[in-house]
Amino acid sequence: MGDLFRALINAVSIVAIPLLLILFLGYGILKKVRVYEVFVEGAKEGFTTAIRIIPYLVAMLCAIGIFRASGALELLTTVLAPVTNLIGMPPETLPMALMRPLSGSGSLGIMTELMKVHGPDSFIGVLASTMYGSSETTFYVLAVYFGSVQIKNTRHAVPAGLIADLFGMLGAVFICRILFGV
Amino acid sequence: MLNYIWISLIAIGILVAVGNDVRDEVQNSYRNGIPIEATVAIQKSPTSLRQTWEGDLIVNAEAFNSFYGIKTVKVEIHQPIVINMVTTGEPEASLPLGSASPDLWKEMAKAATSKEKLVGAVRSMTLAPDQRTARLQIVIEPIRFMKTKAVTQAALDYATTAVTIALGLIGIMALWLGVMKVAEEAGLLRIVTRMLTPVTKRLFPDVPTDHPAIGAMIMNIAANMLGLSNAATPLGLKAMEELNKLNPKVGTATNAMVTFLCINTGGLILIPATAIAVRASAGSANPGIIIGTSIFGAGCATVAGVVAARILQRLPRYKKDLEPEVGKEASHG
Repeated sequence: MGDLFRALINAVSIVAIPLLLILFLGYGILKKVRVYEVFVEGAKEGFTTAIRIIPYLVAMLCAIGIFRASGALELLTTVLAPVTNLIGMPPETLPMALMRPLSGSGSLGIMTELMKVHGPDSFIGVLASTMYGSSETTFYVLAVYFGSVQIKNTRHAVPAGLIADLFGMLGAVFICRILFGV
Repeated sequence: MLNYIWISLIAIGILVAVGNDVRDEVQNSYRNGIPIEATVAIQKSPTSLRQTWEGDLIVNAEAFNSFYGIKTVKVEIHQPIVINMVTTGEPEASLPLGSASPDLWKEMAKAATSKEKLVGAVRSMTLAPDQRTARLQIVIEPIRFMKTKAVTQAALDYATTAVTIALGLIGIMALWLGVMKVAEEAGLLRIVTRMLTPVTKRLFPDVPTDHPAIGAMIMNIAANMLGLSNAATPLGLKAMEELNKLNPKVGTATNAMVTFLCINTGGLILIPATAIAVRASAGSANPGIIIGTSIFGAGCATVAGVVAARILQRLPRYKKDLEPEVGKEASHG
């Protein structure tokens, strides 16, 4: 069942883009849209949008980079370890949970390291990879998406995004403990 | 809030880095000025042309751990070494770092004069009678302000990374924005939008049900769920642009934008391909075992994010940000 689902989704992911391209452009032709001209017209915005997000991305990534390089994460892990022990979350996975909203490459590195040390099928390995799959890099998404439309006052986006991350991590711990817990 | 988080990341980072450096200096964590004892297995001795010794520096794990006061080294260290006999003063040792080098030394090299090697001075060198090994005492170059240097480097590196990421988006952005424009002109987006109206009407009550923003958001969420991150970002940015057309106040996030962002940061994805790939390469017996648990976790995140966004948007402090201000510069909280 699981394998079938996986195979199906994999197949869909592989054909999705070619299918979308032919469907969208084909439908356009059918509706007498001057596809080439309209495509180019839309594509023009690609450059300006990408350039627009640069200042936002520089601000965000530099702050995250400084935080990562300083060793503050290790300090935070020591401080928070007693709390996470209460909910049955191994302290080894705490850096993963803290890094996930900040940096995609950083959390990928932590996940790889945890699997190398503890094994991919250990509880820690399964939990770390579930955590990785349970959330997105909130601050990156925030910088890119809001940057593209020059939003500076993000209002409740940060608290709401962090609540989402918190529940993602808690959900990952909960389901892993039920299914693979010791 | 973002202002405070942003400055906290930077301030905490810098303070912790300086604190760590002070601690290292007080404890002399890198044993600056103290000679480490080791054996060298000599492979090349000096000749008339070449005044260098080459070989492997051998330190057993216990000696290394107790020298640096750590516990992490498990196996005997075999580190390549080149000793250069200089005419005056102590011979210079150079330790080119590679896969066999201990992690601590690799770490130290980041703050050393050269990133690829550690250099040191040989205090004493006693050859064994068979000339195949020698006992050495080396003082490795002083390592200072390691974290402060790392923080400086990170700030500069990430600024470059940000531009690389943004420039890398240009091509893929152009492709998808072009395709989306065609879909929009052909009326295809409206069809997709209409199919999901019952859902989107509740999620985004402020957005008209047939607005192009809805179509772009649906496409973005679908692409995310299929793991097509290359297509998802341009579609998401297109959605943001459309949502911004409904924005009464330039530069301030609307309720719909925040809800949409929360759905995105929840990261609901049917196949977490990256995690599965890493598990497979780490030799997992069942890499795909985390599909179900990830969907559950991301589901929790998405639902919690949307609920949080809906609740928080009613708070007076966030509500007032959206009210148009007259004759006053918008405050950026």
